[in-house]
Amino acid sequence: MNRFYFELICYKAMAELKAESSRSYLGFFWWILEPALYMVAFYIVFALVFQRGGAGFIPFLLCGLVVWKWFGSVVSGSANVILSSSALIRQVYIPKYLLPVTVLLNSTMKFLIVMCLFILFLLLYGIVPTVAWLSLPMVIIAQFLFIACVAGFTAAVVPLLPDIKLILDNVLMLLFFISGVFFDISLAPDNVKTYLILNPMAVIIESYRVVLINGVWPDFFALSIILFISVLLLAGTYRIFKYYDRVYPKILI
Amino acid sequence: MYKSKPIISLKNVGVSYRRRAGLLRWNKYWALNDISFDLYRGETLGIVGRNGAGKSTLLQVLAGIISPDKGTIENNGCEVSLLSLQVGFLPHITGRENAILSGMLLGIHKPEIEKAMPKIINFSGLGAFIDQPVNSYSTGMKARLGFSVANHMDPDVILVDEVLGVGDTEFKKQSAEAMKEKILSNKTVVIVSHDDKTLKDLCDRILWINANGMCSEGNVDDMLGAYQSSFKKRS
Repeated sequence: MNRFYFELICYKAMAELKAESSRSYLGFFWWILEPALYMVAFYIVFALVFQRGGAGFIPFLLCGLVVWKWFGSVVSGSANVILSSSALIRQVYIPKYLLPVTVLLNSTMKFLIVMCLFILFLLLYGIVPTVAWLSLPMVIIAQFLFIACVAGFTAAVVPLLPDIKLILDNVLMLLFFISGVFFDISLAPDNVKTYLILNPMAVIIESYRVVLINGVWPDFFALSIILFISVLLLAGTYRIFKYYDRVYPKILI
Repeated sequence: MYKSKPIISLKNVGVSYRRRAGLLRWNKYWALNDISFDLYRGETLGIVGRNGAGKSTLLQVLAGIISPDKGTIENNGCEVSLLSLQVGFLPHITGRENAILSGMLLGIHKPEIEKAMPKIINFSGLGAFIDQPVNSYSTGMKARLGFSVANHMDPDVILVDEVLGVGDTEFKKQSAEAMKEKILSNKTVVIVSHDDKTLKDLCDRILWINANGMCSEGNVDDMLGAYQSSFKKRS
């Protein structure tokens, strides 16, 4: 990506964030309020209605939700981004991969703010930081690359096969339920667990919890595999974008 | 005049669109079939043709927005842009921010737009409104801002799709003059228009795209005459 395009997407992402926040009365506060409301809803369902968890369930659940929300919002936002920018891409040439990258930057900004608040919450909750917290950036980078490759792939493929969008919503829901957002995968029965840990999001959510809540080092081997596979798939996704770069504007919707 | 090497040359260019023809079935629709011509530095080429003949598609091919499905387009390293107004405008941010965003999408570097901002504000006549969100603008004010930004783009080849003048009477005149000045300068311009007078005033050559997606070219008077008489034959 050359410098001009980098400046362009940074400006575009900032402008979109600003536009988004000026659409409501409380503006930027919604970046915090919205995830907070989302978490309260899940807290009501799982802690109060189903009586799950017990001590330490709140940080456990919040951690899963904060991490999942970043993934879910980028993937579902990217699925539509080329079709919803059709007016733009028919008037000027821009490399189309920039569009999901803008969505990614936009959500990452919000995630980082919510993550800081979550860490603040953990400190207030009485959790003492350990040296293992130093591995947090690696967990975040692994997740960033994994999100980039999944979101990039959906952004590239949905305009070509719009039906995927309908499947995607349900796949995301299924993933949400099996990624251990509100239960501990390590407590699942062994025969199920072998399959559950094949899901990168389960590994990522587990890593955040191990680092931030338990204060021990994450499974570096599993994270490295996620990093490695994500980079490989990103390269593949980039090729799809290159191949269809000047075809997307022709797609009639 | 046309002794020099062409800066863009198209050979047998065709563009097809995929059309749905039922469950899991598609067919191809050729918007352009067999277009060949050369574009030379400094000339103004007019494009005429009925609605749906593929004029806008041809401009998209020239601008590199879409690639042809058959034939070749050879660009000798020049920057080609479609003159587009209000590209990427977001309603909830200010006119100034939209001008920068839109300008960057048109390929102008951010410092250049910021430097040109006083001129943009002055040309658009928006005054203090420039720092208001664009959703508080009237349609005409948006058009003024859009044109003033696009007027600052400076590619090697500029493609114009019937946007010569926008806004109210005063701004229409002002913008049309700015546009004409640009076209008559030594710039390479391709212009799509349905207005005979505009084409006669501005163009050096005319390319006529017929309903089958084929083209013929020639000097302005001959081609416009032939194009006009094609309507009479039908009626």
